[in-house]
Amino acid sequence: MPTADGTTDDQQEHRLHALLPFLQTQSQTSLTRLYQRPSSCLSIFRLLGAVERQLVMNLLWLDLPIQTSTMSSWVTREGKALFDDALASLARLHFLSNNSAIKLGLSTTFKTSMRHAITGGGTSVSFGVPAEPDENRSAPSIDALDAYALERWETVLHYMVSSGTGQTPIKPSQGVLFLLQRSGLMAMNQGQLQITSSGFQFLLHTPHSQLWELLLQYLQMVEERQMDLVEVLSFLFMLSTMELGREYSIESLSDTQRAMLEDLRDYGLMWQRRASSRRFSPTRLATTLTSSLPPLPTATSTGGAKDQGFIVLETNYRLYAYTDNPLQTAVLNLFVTVKWRFPNLVVGAITRESVRKALLNGITADQIISYLTTYAHPQMRKNRPLLPVTVQDQIRLWELERNRIKTQEGFLYTAFASQADYEYVLNYARQLDVVLWENAAKRCFFGSVEGHTNIRGFIERRTGGSGG
Amino acid sequence: MRAVRGVLITCDSAVKQILLTLDERPGQSFIIEDLDEFHVLVRADEEQRVRRELEAELEKNTYSMEA
Repeated sequence: MPTADGTTDDQQEHRLHALLPFLQTQSQTSLTRLYQRPSSCLSIFRLLGAVERQLVMNLLWLDLPIQTSTMSSWVTREGKALFDDALASLARLHFLSNNSAIKLGLSTTFKTSMRHAITGGGTSVSFGVPAEPDENRSAPSIDALDAYALERWETVLHYMVSSGTGQTPIKPSQGVLFLLQRSGLMAMNQGQLQITSSGFQFLLHTPHSQLWELLLQYLQMVEERQMDLVEVLSFLFMLSTMELGREYSIESLSDTQRAMLEDLRDYGLMWQRRASSRRFSPTRLATTLTSSLPPLPTATSTGGAKDQGFIVLETNYRLYAYTDNPLQTAVLNLFVTVKWRFPNLVVGAITRESVRKALLNGITADQIISYLTTYAHPQMRKNRPLLPVTVQDQIRLWELERNRIKTQEGFLYTAFASQADYEYVLNYARQLDVVLWENAAKRCFFGSVEGHTNIRGFIERRTGGSGG
Repeated sequence: MRAVRGVLITCDSAVKQILLTLDERPGQSFIIEDLDEFHVLVRADEEQRVRRELEAELEKNTYSMEA
């Protein structure tokens, strides 16, 4: 039963998936419609934390709701907070039937669909309809799909990373460009799209979170484009439960979902022979949307699909990156001074200048460190801690160095007639919580801009009152 | 009672000394009031220039290994 055994793996797994907060803001009606599709239920279930999943599985096969007190008596005292959090999160997703304070049970729609998802059966086509094999053309191979997805995805990232450097890489499609602009990852600057500081931060994230970040933005735009959010979400979930390398028919798709095909092709989530084709193949980007598997095969031809790590960082700030991937090289270039480049190796150093350049672009020290950690070479994994402490500390120090001064705009109130006057006004400002600095000896204080109108009004009322 | 508009700079004492020196340059005065060891009040429209010049001044204290 849900008890907290505070291992680090568990905690990492417990980190909330980016999609869940979005789902929790949706209305119960939309969510219930979404839960009519078994594939959606299964996909959301896969995004949940370990405790939530455990709870759902415990409740799934109960025909009647169970007393909430019975359930919570299984929980140890240390696990209580975790348990309550999990329940609250399930309730926000409207997984639970409404009276969860007294009795715990899954909502009927969710329960039925989830059971279907696990045991099969039912006639809903929410997992997609495989296309009849075509005798003339064979389905694309998994390798071809991987290559296609990778090419699409790297085009986007490469376009972003080189937008400021004057190079002209291949442009992604108009739809992708629009999405990048809307999400604030790129912005128009002198008639050209330029990467923004959140764009730089985006580049250092893992492919999985990058993908979801863009998809979330896509979901935000759905209503403006007068598309049905439930249709869009359920299509994404359908894709995420599909089998890589298999062709699916578009017959069972709704109009909204057919309209999405073009967008998803652009992002590299699926492949079609022609735009008018009656069938489509999801790529690895799509089928891993709700799983913990890496969404992209490693680009390097070394074949080791599992280990993504390629960076060796030494205590002397030297960095060796075993990669032949232009995108990874370009990303490293954001915060590393590259010294030599070989066909499969980039050698550089983390220097004050290179880190400063990154900081100026809006990248934080923590992001650099987490990128280096994520992509550390397997050889580095033997080290405890993973990255040399000297280098980590120095990167943080370089960041602090840039923040030697803090500035706040506001007003200095001074030349008070008497100590009582000063204290009276100061007290009022304190109540508003706008005092940034004060000095009783000099009888003056500094208040933020926001508080000024109030303070001025207060003083005017007071002087007006005493005058009259 | 008087209210003076400005920007409050919070800094360490070393940086404050640099700010005081910068302020003494002819025709470039920006400090409205020297509040205490860690705070100075400067003119709001000069904030960006002050940041730039402070940056340049601090930069003189570092050296680079790059040839």
